[in-house]
Formats: sequence, structure tokens, C-alpha cells
Amino acid sequence: MDTILEIQDLKVYFRTIFGDAKSLDGASLRVYEREVLGIAGESGCGKSTLVEGTLKLVKPPGYIHSGKVLYNGRNLLELDDEEFRKIRWKELSYIPQGSMNSLNPVIKIEEQMIDGIISHIDISYPDAKEIALEALSDVGLPSDVAQMFPHELSGGMRQRVCIAMSICLRPKIIFADEPVTALDVVMQKLNLQTIGELKERFGVTVVMVAHDMAWHAEVADRIAIMYAGKIVEIGTTSDIFGKPLHPYTKGLLDAVPSLERRFSKSIPGIAPSPLSWPSGCRFHPRCSYKMGVCEEIDPPLIEIEKDHFVACHIYGGR
Amino acid sequence: MRIFKSSPKFTVGVIIISILIVIALLEPTINNHRLGGHSSTEIGLYETSLPPSKEHPFGTDAYGRDVFSLILTGLKYSLLIGFIAGGLATLIAVVLATTAGYKGGWLDAFITTVSNAILIIPSWPILAIIVLFVRKVDLFFLSLILAFFSWAGSSRQIKPQIASLKERPYVELARVTAFSDIEIMFKEILPNFLPYIFVGFSYAVTGTMMAETALRLVGLGPADIPSLGQILNWALYAGALAQGHYFLVLTPIVILILLFVSINLINVGLDEVYNPRLKQITGV
Amino acid sequence: MENLLELKNVVKIFTRANFAFSREKVIYALNDVSFSMDAEPKVLALVGESGSGKTTICKLILGLEEPTSGEILYKGVPLYRWLKENLKEYRREVQIIFQDPFETFNPFYRVDRILWTVIQKFNLARDNNEAKSKIEEGLEAVGLRAREILGRYPHQLSGGERQRFMLARAYILRPKLLVADEPVSMLDASLRAVFLDHLKEFKRNGISCLYITHDLNTAYYISDYILIIYAGKILERGPVEGVIRNPLHPYTKMLINSIPIPDPNKKWSDKVNIDIAQLQKVSGRETVDGCVFYNRCDYAMERCKDNIPPMKRVGEQEVSCFLY
Repeated sequence: MDTILEIQDLKVYFRTIFGDAKSLDGASLRVYEREVLGIAGESGCGKSTLVEGTLKLVKPPGYIHSGKVLYNGRNLLELDDEEFRKIRWKELSYIPQGSMNSLNPVIKIEEQMIDGIISHIDISYPDAKEIALEALSDVGLPSDVAQMFPHELSGGMRQRVCIAMSICLRPKIIFADEPVTALDVVMQKLNLQTIGELKERFGVTVVMVAHDMAWHAEVADRIAIMYAGKIVEIGTTSDIFGKPLHPYTKGLLDAVPSLERRFSKSIPGIAPSPLSWPSGCRFHPRCSYKMGVCEEIDPPLIEIEKDHFVACHIYGGR
Repeated sequence: MRIFKSSPKFTVGVIIISILIVIALLEPTINNHRLGGHSSTEIGLYETSLPPSKEHPFGTDAYGRDVFSLILTGLKYSLLIGFIAGGLATLIAVVLATTAGYKGGWLDAFITTVSNAILIIPSWPILAIIVLFVRKVDLFFLSLILAFFSWAGSSRQIKPQIASLKERPYVELARVTAFSDIEIMFKEILPNFLPYIFVGFSYAVTGTMMAETALRLVGLGPADIPSLGQILNWALYAGALAQGHYFLVLTPIVILILLFVSINLINVGLDEVYNPRLKQITGV
Repeated sequence: MENLLELKNVVKIFTRANFAFSREKVIYALNDVSFSMDAEPKVLALVGESGSGKTTICKLILGLEEPTSGEILYKGVPLYRWLKENLKEYRREVQIIFQDPFETFNPFYRVDRILWTVIQKFNLARDNNEAKSKIEEGLEAVGLRAREILGRYPHQLSGGERQRFMLARAYILRPKLLVADEPVSMLDASLRAVFLDHLKEFKRNGISCLYITHDLNTAYYISDYILIIYAGKILERGPVEGVIRNPLHPYTKMLINSIPIPDPNKKWSDKVNIDIAQLQKVSGRETVDGCVFYNRCDYAMERCKDNIPPMKRVGEQEVSCFLY
């Protein structure tokens, strides 16, 4: 599979009075063309920050410390704001967390979409309108929706509108942050299925950030597991679920209650703080397989088998 | 303390008003020293209409009063009136608005009607009439009536905010912990409201100060309380500008402006710190 | 022994003014809801989507709102009498865990205050020392270390710590009934199990729990008995194994079907279709004619439109549906 985007050792820090909070501390990732890549991990692991950093959307007191984002042969982080704006939405589009709640309540759906389109490409109003209506029907929304106000739609429908907005300009990659959290179960299924289909229907790559592993099981082709600001395992969905390598991944999978079994085990200990990550491998204080070296050396991410990477001393490699 | 670093406006405002307050606090000492026990409003203490000199930095006025000392006294009283009246107004507004906002129902309707009435009825003429007809108006009474006409505006702004804070989960938690209504209002809701109360207070201070000055300029108000407004009034009445008593006229105006501006700077500075979006929009 | 809690034919109507036309909209948030919890400690799960009425039930039971009609009885005595004559005792025995671990803390005070006020208000300790030890005991019981938690402000604790803190508060109070309103929805997956385990332990210590949620997974994990609520009406009820393994109501089936299974070999087999009815918010019905699920039901029949199906017993479960 061809790589469409590559993130190299990206670090995003947040300035606080206690020093820098190293929320994203060196993440490296390849995104392949036409795949759905899931980014999983719990709150505070840095997954949202990873997307914000990649899209240069980090707001103060956060700042991009170092790293590269290679796309189309260029390092996106070196582009200035104006140039990046041209790429955003047209080639890399973004559905932020809770976006369904940030629609402007006093402007009709159609208008909001047209406003967005016009501000990103030079196009006439009627053409923009056509694009907007087409996008709405692409996600299966009836055309009446265009004339409605956000509050007239349920949360799930508003989220669908956000999905529609993200594909308006037929981008190459869509970044979606927790796209179906806070929706009812039936809506979740509906919207998740739509997101999963974007790949087939529009040839677009989707990077989906979500803490719920079950969603990744449903729609993702590959999954990257994050912990404490770093990526600890990457693999195909069947590999991650079937042969999880990293102890954290195993713990994560065991902790999820489901209708299949009435039992679940939690991971002992508490998530560490980005102001003072543990030394060596950041998971060592909570790891039942801990060895001496884990406290001192942070294991690098290495490929153990085809397309299955893990950062853990158990699997050797220095 | 980070506030001082992140907002120059706030810092400047605090500096200016602190200087003015310190001067006002030192007024008795300074004037005692300079006037040897006499009051600064005493007529005929010195020669009339003297130009500025080392002994009289601002000269003397047409009644033989040292202008510098007079203005210090004026500053003291203006500040006193502003803070007392502003404080009373804020106190009334907070108590009534909180009760109305939290309890709702007929109490809310009653208080809202009263505050709306005060707002609609032209308060300044009534204020003027009261001051005109009441025989002896002392500092406290003056502050009281200024406060009476000033609380309604703040109350109207505070009430809906209280009403929305009422819905917060921690208020529900307090109800479920058998807190009484009064306990909830004053221990749960108001502490979170302090920044707004502070802003309301500062607006009340400037508002009442200006209202008082306005009264003076039309000759109303107790003559024995020489606020800056009163000094201005005396000066204009005695044709000070024509006679070249520039300090007598300009200094009170400048000080009033400084008072007004410094308090507003504090407000705007605080707002910018707590509402950072504002900073981006205004581009400062 | 009388039931711990009983709701009989509870109806709650909200009127909403319609600005443009100044016609009032009448919303039936709860439409003839009845259920009971007996004296034996158990966990009863109330499962429904947002707008189904579950939060309203929560507020009614806690006395934060009044029912429009119907009765709520606690230990056989009507709720309004408890609130009027014996408020403190009721508050002691019926407590709540809120959904949002952020907003339940007053940001102005340190977290300790929540525990101290509970002890003071309900006279749970004779002196400061006893109070301190009770607080430490409570924190330990939920897996929190007192010296890491006490003295902090809410924003200094994580979401998981805050929710567990609320559990500690409940532990100190020892209520008879704990109403938990979506307590884990804002917690990470790995923290949910820990939290729910504590609730299970509470049950062993004699505290019953009304677990309100939209998440069938956690409801399955923790409850003994389950009620499915939709648009203000209870559609199915029964022992949890029965309802999950053998769902009767079309809505229950739809809910179970919509849950993603964390196993890539067991993906959803069907595709959901959107229809206009889902465009509108799923809130309480404006009218009471017919089955509330009529608009979304794949098995809808003529009679479902105008007649409300009565509760029918099928084995150990009860269901409100004309299919039975």
C-alpha cells in the first residue's frame, strides 16, 4: 500500500506554570492510501493532539515543538498559515470533536456549508450550493435538511452534516476526532457505517480518533494504539484484536465490557501526567510484564512482523 | 498574580487607582501638615488668587483657599462617596438579584418589577428633587440615595446569570445534601460569581461618582462635603477660568477622568484575562 | 416487607412555549411509567436513549421535580410526604451519582468540603477525629489515597478520580438507594469496570442501585434486572440475562443490534437506513395515541398506530407490544 501521509517524531507541548506538558512526545506514523486508520487510546494519551498537530491547529498555550508531517513530498509544518489553509479542507479535512455542537444555531445548514466552501476555494455561489447539496445526499441526508436550522436536527443528524461538510471538496484524507461519541447507540451505528463507507465511495483515506475499541473493530483497517503521548502499537485490526502484543493493548481489550461476556478486568494504576512522564517505557509502572530495562530505556517502535509494530522490550530490539 | 503579567491594562489601572487611593488616605496627614489644623475649605486662610508657588503648588482660589489641599480633600470625598454608594448599590443588587434569580416565582416577579420601575422612571430628576428638599444631607444619606437609584441596572444583569448557575449540577448536589436555599445561594452560587460582582461593583463606583458630580454641577448637594464635583461647581460659579485659575478647574476634571479610566482599565483587563477570545478579536 | 421504591402510573408533562405562534407545546416526558424495587439490595438498570425520560425519572425520584400525576412511594410512604415532613431522612437514604464528573464539583472549594458537609449535615460523626477517619475509610473503599486527594481543588483531579470521589461520598452516607445517572459515560473504558465493580460491592453492602444509562454493555455488566424505556414509556422489562439473550421488543432488538462488538470477526451484518422520523429529536411524544415506537418499528401494524399495547408477561419478562 502506498503511503499518503507520514508523521515523523511529532512533538506537541503545552506551556504551563509547572513547565511544559509533553502531551505528544514523539509520534511516528504512516497513513496508507484508501484505508481507515483508527487511533485508539484513553483520554490524555495525546490522540487528539496528534491530529491537531498534524493539521497545524494547535492553539496556545500549546505549540509544535518538533517533528515533520510529510505529504506530497513536502513537510506541511513548514508551510505558512496561508499555504496550509489552501490544503485544509480541500485535501486534508477535519471533523473535530463535538463539532455537531459548534454549528451556528442561527444560520441554515445550507448557508453554513456554502460559507465554508466559498472561503476555501474560488467558486460562485450557485456552484458552491450544488456542491453542498451533493455532499448532503452523499451521506444519505434528504435535501430538506439543507433548509433547516441546526437545532431542528438531532445530534446524530448534525454530526452527519459535519461529515457531509468534510467531504464537500473531495479531500484526500479526512481526520475525524471521536465522531460518534455522545450519540445514541442507533445513531452511532448509522454514522459509523457512513464513515466506514467513505473509503469505498469516494476513495478517501480516513483517520479516526476514538477511545472505544469496538468502533475500531467495526470500521478500521489498521489501528494505532497510543499511550502517554507515544504510539505503542500499530497493526491491522485483526492483528490487534487477535494477537495484541503490547501489554497495554491487551489490558485495553480486557477492560472493555461487552454483551459477549459479563466480566472485565481493569488496568491497575492511574494514567500518568504529561508534566512528568515515567522514565524509560512509560507504561512500566502499570505493567505486569515489567523487566529491569523497562524503567530505564524507552523502547522504540519496531516492526515485529509484517505491518505490525510494537514498542516493547519483551519483543527485543534496541 | 499572573493577571498583572498578562494584562498591561489591568496593571496600569491598578497602579493609577492605587496611587489615587493612597493619596486620599494620606490626605488628613498632608493637609494637617500644610494647613496647620485648619480645614482646606476654610475661607480666607490665605491671600486670594495667588499664582502657583512653592508654598502653594496650585496657587489659591478666589476665596483664599489653597487649591492643592482643596483638591486632595475633594479626591478623598469623591472616592468615599463612590465606594460607599457603589458598595451599597452592589450589596442591594446582589442580595435582591440572587434571591430573585434563585427563588423565582412571585418573589422574582416582584423584585423584577421594582427594579424595572426604577430603571424606567427618570431617576436623575428625582434624585435632584430629593437632594433639594431634604434639609440635612450627610455623607451616608447621600450615598444611600445614590445607591438606591443605581442598584437596578446591576441587578438586571446579575439575575439571569444566577438563574442559569442555579441549574448547575453542583447546585443539585447541594440540594440533595439537604442544603437550605439560603445556604445554596450564598455558599454555592455567589462565590463563583465574585468576578462579576467585582465588575458590577466597579461600575457602580464610577456610576455613582459620576452621578454625584452631575448633581454638583447644577449646584445641588451638601456644601459641606467638598467632592471634586463640588469643587468644580464652586470654581465655575466663581468664574475661575476667566480669572485664570486653571489648576482649580482642570485638576478636578483630570482626576475624575483618571478615576474613571483606571477603573475601566481594570475591568477591561480582567475581562481580557478571563475571556481570552476578546483579546484575539480586538487584536491587542 | 414493603417495596423500597415504587412508581405508579407516573406522568410528567413539560409545556414548552412555541415562540413564533405562542401556542404551548405539550411534551409527555414520562407517560404512565410504573416499576418497583423491592427491599432486597439489587441493581436495576433503566436503559434508554437521550430524550427517553430516564433523566426525568432521576429528578422525580430525588424530589427535584414533581410528577404531573401518578405516585412515587418510598418505603410505602408517598414522596411528597417525605419531602415535607422528613426531608433529611429521605436525603440520607436516597442519594445520587451524577453523570458529569466535572460539573458536580463547585470549582470554588476544595474537594474535601463535599465530604465534610455530608458528615455535618447528617450527623455522621461525633467529632472531628471520627469524621476524619470516616473520610479516609470512604476514600480507601473506592481505591483513592487520602493524601493524594484531600486538599486538592476539583480541577486537579482526573475524571476517574472525581467520579470515584462521588462514590466515596455515597459510601460515607450509606444510603438505601443510590440513583446513578450515567456514571461512567464520561470515563475511559479501562476506568469503567473499576467504577462499576464498586457499585457491585455496594450492593453486597446493602445499597440498592438504580442504574440509568444508554449503554447496554455496562447495564449488562452490572445489573440484575433491566427496564427498557423509550419516549417516556417502558417497553420491556425483565431479568437481565433474559432480556439480553432473548429480547422481545423490536426496540430492544434494535438496541442490541446497534452495539458494536469489539471483535473484527463479528461486524454488523446489516445497514441502518435513515428515515425522516429520525431527523426530529427523539423527545417525549406530544400525543398519547398508539405505541410510542410506531414510527420506527419494522413490525408496525395497523393497530399499533392508535392503541397502546398493554404489558404482557412472556416467561420472566414483560413486554408492551402487539406482537405478543
